[in-house]
Amino acid sequence: MSIEIISIIVLFVSFFVLLLIKVPVAYSIGISTTLSLLLNIDKLPGLTTIAQRMTTGIDSFALLAIPFFVLAGEIMKQGGIANRLINFAKSLVASLPGGLAYVNVLASMLFGAISGSAVAAASAIGSIMTDRMEKEGYPRALSASINITSSTTGLLIPPSNILIVYALASGGTASVAALFIAGYLPGILLGFAIMGYIAFIAISKGYARGKRSTLLEVWIYFRKAFFSLLLLVVVVGGIVAGVFTATEASVIAVLYAAILSLIYGDMKMKDFPKILLISGKTTSVVMFLICTSMAMSWLFSFEGIPEMISTFLLESLNNKFAIFLAINIILLIVGTFMDMTPAVLIFTPIFLPVVTTLGMDPVHFGIVIVLNLCIGICTPPVGTLLFVGSGVANVSVTKVIRSLLPFLAIMLGVLMLISFIPEISMFLPRIFGL
Amino acid sequence: KKTNNYKVLYLGHTLPQTHPVHKGILEFKKSLEKKSNGTLKVKIFPDGQLGSERETLELLQIGSVAATKVSAAILSNFVPEYNVLGIPYLFRNKVHQFSVLEGAIGKSILEKGSKFWLRGLCYYDAGSRSFYTSKKAIRTPEDLNGLKIRVQNNQMAINMVNSMGGAATPLAYGELYAAIQQGVVDGAENNPPSFVSSNHYEISKYYTLDEHSSVPDVLLIGTKYWNKLSKQERIWVQEAADESAQAEKIFWKESVDQSLKTIKDWGVEVIIPEKSLFAEKSKNVVINFVKKFPEMGKLVKEIKNN
Amino acid sequence: MNKYEVTFNKVNKILEWFIIIIFGLLVLDVLFQVFSRYLLGTSFTWTEEFARFSLIWMTIIGAAYLNAKREHLSMDFLYQKLSLTNKRKASIVIEIFIFLFALIVMVIGGINLVYTTLHLDQLSGTLRIPLGYVYAVLPFSGFLIISFSVYHISKIYSNKNIC
Ligand code: NA
Ligand code: NA
Repeated sequence: MSIEIISIIVLFVSFFVLLLIKVPVAYSIGISTTLSLLLNIDKLPGLTTIAQRMTTGIDSFALLAIPFFVLAGEIMKQGGIANRLINFAKSLVASLPGGLAYVNVLASMLFGAISGSAVAAASAIGSIMTDRMEKEGYPRALSASINITSSTTGLLIPPSNILIVYALASGGTASVAALFIAGYLPGILLGFAIMGYIAFIAISKGYARGKRSTLLEVWIYFRKAFFSLLLLVVVVGGIVAGVFTATEASVIAVLYAAILSLIYGDMKMKDFPKILLISGKTTSVVMFLICTSMAMSWLFSFEGIPEMISTFLLESLNNKFAIFLAINIILLIVGTFMDMTPAVLIFTPIFLPVVTTLGMDPVHFGIVIVLNLCIGICTPPVGTLLFVGSGVANVSVTKVIRSLLPFLAIMLGVLMLISFIPEISMFLPRIFGL
Repeated sequence: KKTNNYKVLYLGHTLPQTHPVHKGILEFKKSLEKKSNGTLKVKIFPDGQLGSERETLELLQIGSVAATKVSAAILSNFVPEYNVLGIPYLFRNKVHQFSVLEGAIGKSILEKGSKFWLRGLCYYDAGSRSFYTSKKAIRTPEDLNGLKIRVQNNQMAINMVNSMGGAATPLAYGELYAAIQQGVVDGAENNPPSFVSSNHYEISKYYTLDEHSSVPDVLLIGTKYWNKLSKQERIWVQEAADESAQAEKIFWKESVDQSLKTIKDWGVEVIIPEKSLFAEKSKNVVINFVKKFPEMGKLVKEIKNN
Repeated sequence: MNKYEVTFNKVNKILEWFIIIIFGLLVLDVLFQVFSRYLLGTSFTWTEEFARFSLIWMTIIGAAYLNAKREHLSMDFLYQKLSLTNKRKASIVIEIFIFLFALIVMVIGGINLVYTTLHLDQLSGTLRIPLGYVYAVLPFSGFLIISFSVYHISKIYSNKNIC
């Protein structure tokens, strides 16, 4: 057996064993990378290289958007913005059969849209909605499933941290601005697909309608949520109009959310250190994952794995659709056991050259890989969103999984549409000339 | 790394495979493998697979990567002498440039790297950098006034653009396409092949061939790797490098011609300005540089008098 | 509380303030970059580099803080099914793995990286600070992580009820 094959086996086996015994994901990635690299490079240079890749892996101005969008999301969560969005969503859709379920979807979409992080959306909306829905007879596990899957739309609807990570992994072939615009329709489509399934169960199970809001009430709640919603226009509009870059937009979002929360009076200056700490912690979880993932990604390049896989895919499956399908299946499997950020960083350099050879736009592929991994973060064994969503809803993960299955099937259906109909993603970027 | 009966030389760089300098590096590989009868194999990692230019230089020092190709501008953060090559309008023309680089002065700068564990092997032609803008044409230095021009994160480049009247804006290369398109910056500067391979010509209206700096690319080998080679192997490596440098100059010229054609066909207006006006404006950069680093003054003088 | 716990809590407090301050500076730095370009019409060259280096420090110090709190993302699928005794054993094994990674890669690899870049005088592009100072966060954090692992292991050893 060649040294390359042995080191790949060592990498995967050690990674799985470490994950299984609950070694933190970032360390599992780091340790398996170290074991594998030491088979290839002398000891001290090898260790030093990993140390260097960990540090330089996050040495990027573009990545700064991650802490800033996390911080903006945290401020919004604490600053009473979640409630305003829920009330607005309620005035719009609560009167449909199964009204509160729609409110949950719409509020999660809106919050996910403005915050850039699905976990922030799931925890902000889920903690409020699950109790309200239980009072009207919805099982908690169902509320959690709705909350979890609809929060993923926030990763497609801009701003989105994971699309920024993808732009980085694509080596600049896909711009953040184009990715942001491309995410709108797929994100909204996913939200509507979830609502479609809710319509089906609401009618068959006879869930209650809420009272119909008058146009005046809609207007009142809209006005209360107006400045929260305006954030979307400021951030995304600012990027597309060229007022600032994506990273700069994220810091504007922080400023905006902070001022808004202070004006609403739900937050005071003295709350900021605590919010900075909470967001700093959240940021470190993601960023440290990026550190070790970048080391693993480097190891893959050094061993020529991207080349190997692309040659294999292009030669053994000479059909474009078969290759897209194969890539989607591999990513779905990857998504079950790997968190979204490392998966994007490690697999983008492997698959992007293959799909661009076949004529796929890097922006389109970004939307596909993100949507695909959105399914992954909702599934065990490694499913951040699943755990957070179950946690805030206070239900066991096993119960949630059962009611989650049909929602995952819906997501899979949308994934197929997005994969094979590029227009859904590429229509808007083309209009904006991005 | 030694495997069976041959050594592998890992070489990482950041250029795409269509780039003329990559083709030059391929010549290095071909020539070295032929000379050594296959006992020295070169494995090339293009597209920045092993990291950015700065990071790959570090990996040479660390000893996990054997060789790389970087711009002398980046190298100057490691080996100060390379700063000199970034001085605006340093060379009178291409003949002067390569008589300096391939003569004693150039060789001595390559040698200087050994102190920093980065042994220079040869220079590759990377042409001259010129301004491109999306809205306003630059015909004289005055047209630069107030324009936000993206530059590399390098003090010399920043000073140069500022001294000509522009507002130097260091920005990550990956964010540049969107930044030009959306008007975050008014323009940038680069050589014709990079102007094309970055697709920036698609979103620019004017290309002003003021040729303000001619920073070459440099092929380097880590001294950690170099020291492990036998005397004969070192000779092969140096010869292969020198041969590839000659081949690269031809690839470069073809690529410049091709690129300028692509740029014009797309509809970008190519402007040939009075270069001396720009050179005049940038004189202070050289004076300040020599003031700040007196030991470099001698080198600048030697190059100018060559 | 014994004196180790007191020190442990003190170190955590310092780390917390470090994260808060550096995050606050990051926000101000990038805001300053945007506003200086629009209001003053100039770009300062150091804001980008400062932001990038601060992010590195915040992340890697933050990683050590997460180790103190044992709040890194991990999968407890199998772990949840273990008995308390086995959970305790597993926790010790996990801490040993973390200890080894921090020691071998972050401390040993990190020190060699810092040594190489300082010894060879590499300076950053615009701030002109030695890159070794930026990399120094790695062995520094690695040392903290090692200490935290030892602390957690000793805690698990001394108290039969925690895992
Ligand atoms: Na979003
Ligand atoms: Na999963």
